[in-house]
Amino acid sequence: MSQTLEPAPEATRLRDSLPRRRPPRRSAARSRTRLAYWLIAPAVTFMVLVHLLPTIGGIVLSFKRLNTFTFARLFDAPWAGLENYRSILFDSSNPLHDGFFGAVQNTAVYTFWTVGLTLVGGLAVALLLNRPMKGIRIVRTLMLTPWIVPSFVVAILWQFMWQSDVGIVNKVLVDYTGILNDRPIWLLGHNTIWAIIIPSVWRGLPFAMLIFLAGLQAMPQELHEAAAIDGAGPFKRFRYITLPLLRPLIAVQLLFGVIYSTYQFSIPYVMFGNNPGPDADLMMTLIVRQSFSNNLFGFGAAASTLLILIMGIWVFVWYRIFKRDLEVT
Amino acid sequence: MSSRAINRGLDVLTWLVLAIMLAPIFWLVASSLQTDGQLATGAMNLFKPTFHAFGQMWKSVDFERYLINSLIICTVAAATATAFASFAGYAIARYQFRGSRAVSLGVIGTQLIPGSMFLLPTFLGFIWLKQNTPVNLYDTRLGMILVYTAFFTPVAIYFMRYFFAAIPRDLEEAAMVDGCSRFGAFLRIVLPAAAPGLLATFVYAFLFAWDELLFVASLTQHNAETIPIGIRNFIGNYQERTAQLMAAGVVSTLPVLIAFFATQRWLVKGITAGAVKG
Repeated sequence: MSQTLEPAPEATRLRDSLPRRRPPRRSAARSRTRLAYWLIAPAVTFMVLVHLLPTIGGIVLSFKRLNTFTFARLFDAPWAGLENYRSILFDSSNPLHDGFFGAVQNTAVYTFWTVGLTLVGGLAVALLLNRPMKGIRIVRTLMLTPWIVPSFVVAILWQFMWQSDVGIVNKVLVDYTGILNDRPIWLLGHNTIWAIIIPSVWRGLPFAMLIFLAGLQAMPQELHEAAAIDGAGPFKRFRYITLPLLRPLIAVQLLFGVIYSTYQFSIPYVMFGNNPGPDADLMMTLIVRQSFSNNLFGFGAAASTLLILIMGIWVFVWYRIFKRDLEVT
Repeated sequence: MSSRAINRGLDVLTWLVLAIMLAPIFWLVASSLQTDGQLATGAMNLFKPTFHAFGQMWKSVDFERYLINSLIICTVAAATATAFASFAGYAIARYQFRGSRAVSLGVIGTQLIPGSMFLLPTFLGFIWLKQNTPVNLYDTRLGMILVYTAFFTPVAIYFMRYFFAAIPRDLEEAAMVDGCSRFGAFLRIVLPAAAPGLLATFVYAFLFAWDELLFVASLTQHNAETIPIGIRNFIGNYQERTAQLMAAGVVSTLPVLIAFFATQRWLVKGITAGAVKG
């Protein structure tokens, strides 16, 4: 290390002694700001190193021809211009083209149903648990358990439950209750998307329930009482009082629910392996497979960049819709 | 119908919903207590449980290695993320400084980026470091700890802000009047007062780290593999041994389940405070 660049000891001592000589007020404000910067420094450093820089790197890679042959050159791989984007979006002879739009469609279906059912179900259960009842505290705590089960355990458990012959789902639907006459095949073909939606809802619903329940309990009771005196029934009160008051909570859950569902990876990956098949292949499973199994890193980076753009549009649309609700809170 | 009857009906419905939500977990535990053969043929006997599958699973996949890796990586990463987040969360909750809005927005912004976006450059970066410097992060616990720390710091900041905002300012001002430095007051007065929040944040980050699969799948090869990878490898090699797989599921759920129920009072407060107060 070059010791000559270190400040002289006198300077250090002088700087340290400065705050004591200054008027106390100004130095207090300055030392406060300086402390604030020191306090955020570690978090910001990590976020820059692991989030910001690699994201910029990823966008750069999306313009490069990075594959099996150029991989050894890492970031020095040759430039490809917009080729990665063009072939994904417009080149129908490229097998990735169909795969990409198939995955976009599956991800949209998966996200729509997962977020929709999670929020509607979570609100319904929260309303149910907001009533006085014997043992309600235990019920509320136990209801959270599915959310604690790790995604990869959710995937192996439901994979076993979905088995056509010995799985408990078909046993209940066909053998025990006779709701269905034929045993559905869950892990192959069109049903596969439901084989990942339902476990995702099962795991996510308790969390939505928890948030809604907190919102319901924080709600002022006077409004409901006044409306009841005015003759509004429970459904009217729910529609015109409860639901509008819950809008900010719905907004936040919608925002993050859509983001997390769009980026779902663990459940399809553990349940179906590297390739969940054309009916359940999501954006993330597609990108990871093309990048790490087929070494099409440029494609993966370009598809990820497109995914960020889509999420950017979603955040913009979301903001336009829920702007008012954010100002209230 | 009388309102009494409706209420009884809703009580029954509540218990029914709970039963449905818990049924898959019951099924996980029940299946883990059977033998592989029973599960393959569907001839389960719930009244004759056996712990056989647990012992077999432990040997056949070297589960201990994955478990130890998961425990070390997730504990250290969650603790570091909580420490960083307590610093940053305190600064954001208490001080107005230039760039504080940018940091707050950046915290949320990190959540918008798909993992696949920065996984690849992180992977290439690890490879580059290994080839060009003595720093080896690829397939090491340290590498995974660094990545996870960064991952869960933003959500931990989000959490800690509310716990700090709930602590009255008078507390640290009194300490400073008594001669504590600003940082000393934070360390000795505010942090202990926020202990439940720290614990909740730690557990929350731990839950997320325990569940992470995408990065550990690509950034490790053997030495630093965690439980989700162990489960994936198990499926690849012994798909038909379902009882063992379920046993592995039970063992990998237990640590987070215990951590959750031990701290759920504060954890629930942290989650809902952030949501309800906006």
